Amino acid sequence: MRGMNTIALRFGPLKADSYTIVRSGVRWLVEDGQPCRAGQPIGYCNISLEPTGARLKSAPTFTEEQDIQIVFAPRVSGRLAIRSDMARGGYLSTRAIDAWDPDTVVAQIMPDGPTDTGDPGRLRLMGVAGRRMTRLADIHSGLLSGWYSRSRGWWCEGNEPPITLLSMGVCDATGVILGEKCSFLDMFEATRAPTQCVFVPDHPLAPCAPILIEQIERTPAQSDAIAEDLRQFFSRPNIHPTPEDWIFAGTLLSVLRNTPLKDRLDIFSDTGTRKLAPANAVLMSLNVEPQSILRHRQLGYHVHIMRHHLAGAGPAIRAWLTSAFEPVKRSLDVIRRDYETLIDTLARTTGGRVLILNRMSTSGYEDISNYSAFDAPMSATLSNIAAKEQNLMLHDISETRNLAVIDVDALAAELGGGLHLPDGIHQSGRMQMELRQEIVHVLSDMRGLRQTTRTPARAAG
Amino acid sequence: MLYEFRLSEIVPQMSGATIECIYAAIGDRLPMGAKLLDLSVDLSSAFAQECPPVSYYRLVLREAVFLRRFDAVPGKHYALGEQVALFSTDATETLNGPIGRPIRCTVAGIIHHEAMWSGGCVA
Repeated sequence: MRGMNTIALRFGPLKADSYTIVRSGVRWLVEDGQPCRAGQPIGYCNISLEPTGARLKSAPTFTEEQDIQIVFAPRVSGRLAIRSDMARGGYLSTRAIDAWDPDTVVAQIMPDGPTDTGDPGRLRLMGVAGRRMTRLADIHSGLLSGWYSRSRGWWCEGNEPPITLLSMGVCDATGVILGEKCSFLDMFEATRAPTQCVFVPDHPLAPCAPILIEQIERTPAQSDAIAEDLRQFFSRPNIHPTPEDWIFAGTLLSVLRNTPLKDRLDIFSDTGTRKLAPANAVLMSLNVEPQSILRHRQLGYHVHIMRHHLAGAGPAIRAWLTSAFEPVKRSLDVIRRDYETLIDTLARTTGGRVLILNRMSTSGYEDISNYSAFDAPMSATLSNIAAKEQNLMLHDISETRNLAVIDVDALAAELGGGLHLPDGIHQSGRMQMELRQEIVHVLSDMRGLRQTTRTPARAAG
Repeated sequence: MLYEFRLSEIVPQMSGATIECIYAAIGDRLPMGAKLLDLSVDLSSAFAQECPPVSYYRLVLREAVFLRRFDAVPGKHYALGEQVALFSTDATETLNGPIGRPIRCTVAGIIHHEAMWSGGCVA
């Protein structure tokens, strides 16, 4: 145990093989004199990786990602005294200016109580990186502030391999992983276990099971055929694409070529650079599975674009979707089959496990006293009955496959749906925190750590 | 006896609703359990979110009536409290009399479908 003397908080080691790490001035997330929690991010720097001149052993890392930042947090709770001169201001707070020095002291902390961690002065570090949807989207206003086709945050120390959680974003999966400030800060604070969180937004494709299956299996030739089909449509004499159409088309074609479930991503930490395996866990949402989806009439691939994103398309894209695609109904059996195909494909190709957020299946806003007015099958009409059937389907799948169901339905009922999930999709901060913990538990199980930590308690009980 | 349906609060924060489908016409005799309309509630004006919290509901009658006044059309927006439909228990009853009470009906959350005014997959 240590006493309650002020502790100097220093960056600690950070290495990237074949690169010198250069950082910007600090941008603070807290005020001087503010109390803070253990693990609460207090500031961050932008990072540039400068080649050392040594011959690289492999392709340069992080070439896809234009924005890299390091977030730091104290290991103990207490009151902070920040070094205001670490914030250089202006461009010096965004452009890399100083080589990373592990001994740089950024703040002091007066701990709330005795500290029992090994090195309480060493800051916890989280690396974050964003792959811009377009290089034009260079937005330097804050932490992971650009428009990204993929963003991620990772934290690990020593040689412990992080587990990678990939969140395929729609609203209910987004907030839980990205957190209130949209940069993984809450996940970072929620668990010290070595983790990489990856987030892929639903711009413009909603990540339902058939689309993810096709992303895994699509060949470059098929991607070329998709692009050629769209190019030919845009070339028709009666089609006049607007700027919105071109932006939408570029985004769509780019996303269709991505393979987020197979990506092997580099990280750097205190021990240097390493390449991680594809996502160990893939978080999806049952809410994103449509009962009707668009299928390309000739090429056979699917797109599912939510209404509010379709608003970003111009008339040419809308005309293309109308003429080149046909709506296809998806029964509960089809949705189940797609999930099973995805789970099996992942198990076979990457070993990744699927986690699915189920659906809120009750509502205090309806007053049905007699169901005779609704035709069978009622799940085709009544959203709460459909949600119940879909939730049951997930449990059926989990009996034969390695699927983790994150029980939004039970949690919302417990917390109060009206307060914490008013429209069935968008959770309160409290509910996001509870769901985050559920996900952390699943990841912990996957590491095999949870069993280890529970055993003494069971033995004692 | 005259009954009416005024748009009442289905979810908190709603300020109105948009008609998505209508299932009846003026003069129709509507039995108990008849569908009257589907509507959507968009809470975007209450919650600043890019992903609009839109939910869909069906209005089903819990008593037999004649539909006498009904100017709802798909796409029309009604404010909270606005009269949407007027019913009578007798097919020829004058509409100048006092309104007895709100019609008894059920509001059920439903799934968006292709026949709605807001359209299918590419609307």
